[in-house]
Amino acid sequence: MGKVTVATDWLAACAGCHMSLLDSDERIVGLLDLVEFTSSPVTDLKHPPKEGVTVGILTGAIANTHNIEVAKRMRERCQILIALGDCATFGGIVATRNLAGTEACLKRAYLEAESVVDGVIPDSPELGKPLETVTGVGDVVKVDLFIPGCPPRADAIYYALSELLAGRVPVVLPPEHFVYD
Amino acid sequence: MASITITINGQKVPAQTGQTVLEAARAAGIDIPTLCHHPAVKPIGACRLCMVEIAGQRTLQPACTFPVADKMDVKTESPKVVEVRKFVMELIFSERNHFCMYCEMSGDCELQALAYKYGIDHMTYPTYVKGYPVDASPPYFLLDHNRCVLCRRCVRVCGELVANHTLDMRQRGASTMVQADMNLPLGQSSCISCGNCLDVCPTGALVDKRSAFMARNAQTEHVRSVCSQCSLGCGIDVVTRAGNLLRVQGDSDAPVNRGLLCRKGRFEPLYEKRARLLAPLVRTLDGGHRQADWNEALQTAADRIRRTPAAKVGVLASTWATNEALYLLARLFVKELKAGKAGLLHPVVPVLSDKLPASLEEIAKSDCVLVVGADPAQDHPVVSFFVKRVLDAEGRLIVVGAPASPLADLADESFGTEEIRKAVETARAASRPAVLYGAGLSERVLEELKSLAGKALLLPLQPGVNTFAAAKFGLDRIAEPSGLEVLYVLAGEEDLGDRILGKIGKDTFLIVQGCYGSSLTDRADVVLPMAAWAERSGTLTNTAGLVQEVRAATDPAGSSKPDWEILSLLAERLGVKPGASLEEIAVHASRQLQ
Repeated sequence: MGKVTVATDWLAACAGCHMSLLDSDERIVGLLDLVEFTSSPVTDLKHPPKEGVTVGILTGAIANTHNIEVAKRMRERCQILIALGDCATFGGIVATRNLAGTEACLKRAYLEAESVVDGVIPDSPELGKPLETVTGVGDVVKVDLFIPGCPPRADAIYYALSELLAGRVPVVLPPEHFVYD
Repeated sequence: MASITITINGQKVPAQTGQTVLEAARAAGIDIPTLCHHPAVKPIGACRLCMVEIAGQRTLQPACTFPVADKMDVKTESPKVVEVRKFVMELIFSERNHFCMYCEMSGDCELQALAYKYGIDHMTYPTYVKGYPVDASPPYFLLDHNRCVLCRRCVRVCGELVANHTLDMRQRGASTMVQADMNLPLGQSSCISCGNCLDVCPTGALVDKRSAFMARNAQTEHVRSVCSQCSLGCGIDVVTRAGNLLRVQGDSDAPVNRGLLCRKGRFEPLYEKRARLLAPLVRTLDGGHRQADWNEALQTAADRIRRTPAAKVGVLASTWATNEALYLLARLFVKELKAGKAGLLHPVVPVLSDKLPASLEEIAKSDCVLVVGADPAQDHPVVSFFVKRVLDAEGRLIVVGAPASPLADLADESFGTEEIRKAVETARAASRPAVLYGAGLSERVLEELKSLAGKALLLPLQPGVNTFAAAKFGLDRIAEPSGLEVLYVLAGEEDLGDRILGKIGKDTFLIVQGCYGSSLTDRADVVLPMAAWAERSGTLTNTAGLVQEVRAATDPAGSSKPDWEILSLLAERLGVKPGASLEEIAVHASRQLQ
């Protein structure tokens, strides 16, 4: 049997969830005997392979049209999709933008902030368009497993992957695997 | 009440008629999750988390309001119940901001604990998009509507227990909001900043400003003590972390107040701005002060007292001190040294009945309350809550001789003291009258009130703190600080400078035992720093004669010492040996208090 393939990607995220994945420390070396990380934002290959992977991991919230594309592509190319972290689970810190509205946030950041000189709100066609409402990944694609936390504990991530490798559906539940305090 | 048997989760459980399913289950050690329920207030079945399956009932029923009946068969965690409970929680999470990661209550939140218990790992319904206001207008706490779950615990505490009726709900359905008065900011409303709502809020909606984000409950220490702000003797729960004061909470087991506190007891002591006295001070030749060690300061004081004729020695006590300190003060200066003057700075209210209420709840059970020559809403706020509860229960309130007090505004009738007989007759006609009376009443008024003894509850509201004990030790009258060669002032936390400074002779040798620097300590020849409210141990006697233990929550600031210890050390230097330990002195003191 070949290795289980895992791809990760991030949406509107701070990279903390990926840091937490790396916090598995030396256990990740053992994991590499069984798992092949095909692509991730922290490796050379950024996009999940066309032929697909077993496990897809998304971190970050859905905050713009680009995030939707990335989420849909990951969903198409993976068998099991994990929403990792609070942003992917329900919007997290990014969703606090909803309280003020996207328009107001863009203005504040690019035009009104104290450090801005001749500010412009970026509108290059290469950029995703910011959405009115920030949501979790589950609002855009079907998610098979939620691992909340800000960031999720390395132990919770390691546990979820080990359970999947053992052919079991991981039960990542509080308070064993996540608490906020 | 009759004993019955019900079945919960297949287990036979004894219950009493009149109990709710929740009460019967908890009495049997079976937990049913709740959110809006709080034992101090009436159940309203608002949150629907305590839903249980009861055989014969068409739908699930809330355990907190459903009465038990004989042979009832209840299931508290059946698949159907759990499914509904999770659904209810998902609905709660779908409204407002229940993102734990930056919430003050995270770790101590009842909603969070329930979500952990039922394995909520994401939000089923769309994430929140609407921002709600944060009302930070009250001086000591804030109300973050974003965290509110509309459980109405705060509303019920404000109405049922404090009887202030500031908080209520407005609108319906998803627009429902907690509001103060007719939708005013709390800081401009009728809120009296008692903070009792903070003690019951299950989430991070009501937050103490001073201690916010300073510790999870698990990182704190709780010390049950007694409030030092007035003579009621309310139980307090002093919360500290690593020796630092965080906040004061109500102690729901406290006999006097059953957990209720007021602004004076809960918040004000933590916002003390005066400079603490951290070391003993003695006067220098150029008229200033210099720091001294305890040995030198006490010896200077003792030498001067010993050299002075007893008739020219005076002692003034603030009743802020503990039983032990007041006992020592009276023993040393009155009994042993026979000082020329010894007394208090405020009057003592005479006790008119030998049966004083142990708990303020007895006042709330009255059907007619007479408040005579006192303004409890201002001076003894917690007892005013219990008086206002009488009004809520359609009882009568009569205020005599306090026309401008907040209670007079609520009273059915308000009289001048010359009409005391009319007021007393109204009280006599009631079935359970209660009288609260203050200081400075004439003999005639006291005689009238005394005629109610046996029929009415007669509660004196002593000014000061430990006035009941001071009077028992013989310090029962006002003393003037004039015409003395040596004056010893036990000031405690009170700022007495403006009241007595002008009356102290120019050449009087002044010894002050206090907590804070003031115009009085500036004038003093010897300053003995004493432990403040949260730092002292000993006992206090409340206005009803109840002796309660005060426990130190933190160490005394600087080199300050507990009030009794300072007096005990001074006594030794004057050749009086009143007892070596706090316990020994407490035994002597308590003997005199009985």
